[in-house]
Amino acid sequence: MPSYKLTYFNGRGRAEVSRLIFAVAGEKFEDVRYEMDQWPAHKAEMPLGQIPVLEVDGVKLPQSAAIARFLAKQFHLAGKDNFEQAKVDAVVDTIDDSFKGFVPTRFEKDEAKKEELTKKYFGEELPKHLQNLETLGKLYGNGGHFFVGNQLTWADLLFYTFAQAWIGVEADCLNNFSWLKKNRAEVEKQPKIAEYLKNRPQTQF
Amino acid sequence: MPTYKLHYFDLRGQAEITRLIFAAAGEKYEDIRYKREEFPQHKSEMPLGQIPVLEVDGVKLPQSISIARYLAKEFQLAGKDNLEQAKVDAVVDTVTDFVVSYFPIHMKADEATKKEALNEQSLKLFKNLQTLQEFYQGNDFLVGNHLTYADLWFYDITETVLGVDSTILDKYPNLKKVRQSVENDTKVAAYLKDRPKLPF
Repeated sequence: MPSYKLTYFNGRGRAEVSRLIFAVAGEKFEDVRYEMDQWPAHKAEMPLGQIPVLEVDGVKLPQSAAIARFLAKQFHLAGKDNFEQAKVDAVVDTIDDSFKGFVPTRFEKDEAKKEELTKKYFGEELPKHLQNLETLGKLYGNGGHFFVGNQLTWADLLFYTFAQAWIGVEADCLNNFSWLKKNRAEVEKQPKIAEYLKNRPQTQF
Repeated sequence: MPTYKLHYFDLRGQAEITRLIFAAAGEKYEDIRYKREEFPQHKSEMPLGQIPVLEVDGVKLPQSISIARYLAKEFQLAGKDNLEQAKVDAVVDTVTDFVVSYFPIHMKADEATKKEALNEQSLKLFKNLQTLQEFYQGNDFLVGNHLTYADLWFYDITETVLGVDSTILDKYPNLKKVRQSVENDTKVAAYLKDRPKLPF
């Protein structure tokens, strides 16, 4: 068994999907978390000066999606063959597209502008992406509530964690999307995930 | 063998990496190219109303890099095991980060603004790629010692930026070698010779 070390901030952000994968798989890893003021001292240790980074038997992997996909493949959460994995990847890319517009709304310093950006994102932009995600879930989900092929994959875990960030700002954002709500409920019901969610550190992001 | 149909505009754009993968693999596919005025009639046929879409035995896949990764895996151009595939994916994502930040400027700005943005952002990309190439023992390729879809993605993106500044890779001999390796591949070379010449 390889040794795994995941390095990120002390938050969910772009690393939580990988932590969820480890939890579902019941696999051990070193969960290194930096506070904001600790991070600058370690930046130069990371290949691209960014985190998350996964170290696998000493080999460093940057890029959160590449990390998560690798772990999902290791632990059979990526899709059962190449074509199913492609559907999972397409859902992941679409979830990522949905999240892109959210990040600037969080970092905007001008309060009035922040409110305007946030309103536009939740009112106009996000609903289009959520519609796309429901389309893919119905296209690839074989009539079930997971995004692809009637079983849990990392696409469900990624949607779960990013949606948590949206719900934290706008609690009603999934109200018009019953398929997506059911998908999150399915994820939360999984025993290893329920256990993990109960015990994980509560962080700001 | 599945039947493949690729739906895109008559551009390199987000589909060329997939065309390069088919070429390197020597695999057949239907290369559907929509004119701008034609596409609105077909938009609702696509799962997300966008192209490229790859149709595999009638099942449609959106999202350009997911399409490319799927075909790369089918045709042994993705990396030889999970860990090598992860290294290749990380390099691909690093190129994509550059595309996301530079290409919106490339599409809209005047030549001077383009050149300035390119100079700044390509420095970051090339430094990152050199770092990863070293970490992942890229020997004439970006990862390891054989062609992967990371090399093809890098090749296609640098095709576009070399059109803005033909000297941009001069300080990066190892990255120039990667382009050379792509051009030295017999099947890819034949494809490059015959494909439509498009600026983007």
